[in-house]
Amino acid sequence: MCQTCGCGATQGTETETVTVLENLMARNDRIAEHVRHHFDAHGVLAINLMSSPGSGKTSLLEAIIQGLAPEIKVAVIEGDLETENDAARIRRHGVPAVQITTGVTCHLDAAMVHDALDSLPIGDIDVLFIENVGNLVCPADFDLGQHANVVLLSVTEGDDKPDKYPVIFRAADMVLITKTDLLPHIEEFDLAKVEQSLRRVGGDVPILALSAKTHANLEAWCNWLRSRLATHRLSCPKNGHAHDHSHGTPRIA
Amino acid sequence: MHEFSVMEGLMTLLADHAQAHAITRITRVRLVVGQLRGLDVNQLRGCFDLLVEGTSARSATLEIDFVPAEGHCDRCDKTFVLPNFVLTCPVCGDSRAVRTTKGRELYLEKFEGTKE
Repeated sequence: MCQTCGCGATQGTETETVTVLENLMARNDRIAEHVRHHFDAHGVLAINLMSSPGSGKTSLLEAIIQGLAPEIKVAVIEGDLETENDAARIRRHGVPAVQITTGVTCHLDAAMVHDALDSLPIGDIDVLFIENVGNLVCPADFDLGQHANVVLLSVTEGDDKPDKYPVIFRAADMVLITKTDLLPHIEEFDLAKVEQSLRRVGGDVPILALSAKTHANLEAWCNWLRSRLATHRLSCPKNGHAHDHSHGTPRIA
Repeated sequence: MHEFSVMEGLMTLLADHAQAHAITRITRVRLVVGQLRGLDVNQLRGCFDLLVEGTSARSATLEIDFVPAEGHCDRCDKTFVLPNFVLTCPVCGDSRAVRTTKGRELYLEKFEGTKE
């Protein structure tokens, strides 16, 4: 019998409201913080590379690996739906690479990156590139534990992409216009229009136009990476303190 | 199509909090989703319908509070709604001093349920 009014209704049909106010991405974000903690403890700078498929993420990495060596040791996590192709390309340059094949999933998440770290010599890495699944939509909203997002846009894709895919371009810390060696053949692509489009959606993000094929402006990107790493090392020195891969209670600094 | 992953996160939250409050049947769920998350509300609803099958939330009503993007130009000290992600300040026409103040929300505000 109901204790409130004595009616015949059974107890428990009473409705309870539970206030939660928790982010739907909370689980991913917790793992991402854990991953970032690993990176910071080892002085690793992690860069999340995002773009459409075929915009030249892997080619760009292949082109800069030698330029960064030997003072900067690089490793790569490759994300694709299928195949080991991209990791194999990177390994040919003598750089450790792990391939994540996501099957049907259109983005990487923090748990996938965390698992991939087990296969990398994290103590020997200065800069870790995480090459996300080629997709201008979904990867933007998943924190992987990275320190910076770099979004690529190749000249064959069209100069209005930032207007069309604002979420990912808003998340960028650097936008790279790739394949500029093809510009003489693509008169429709206007670099000034890309910049206008980016300013409408992305505020003040820096833009760099380069070519992995001719190496035009690659040194400028390498310098950006060197500068980011130097800044990162001020707060997270290499081998600054011992760290074990603990999965217990997150350590409080 | 990452709406599915996002709604899987919702199901985890609902299951955890329902268990903590001994709620056996969830009747109403209220989400807050900001425009800048780039999520499609109809797809969120479709994924919810698929994910609640066979769970204690199978007959729950889903309410989504959609928050339009809002920006503030620090130079002009003006707050305004951002149409279609365009960050340009309507006063000075520039985007560089504009920061977004609303539109990144993505959380479970509350839910209602009953106990057996």
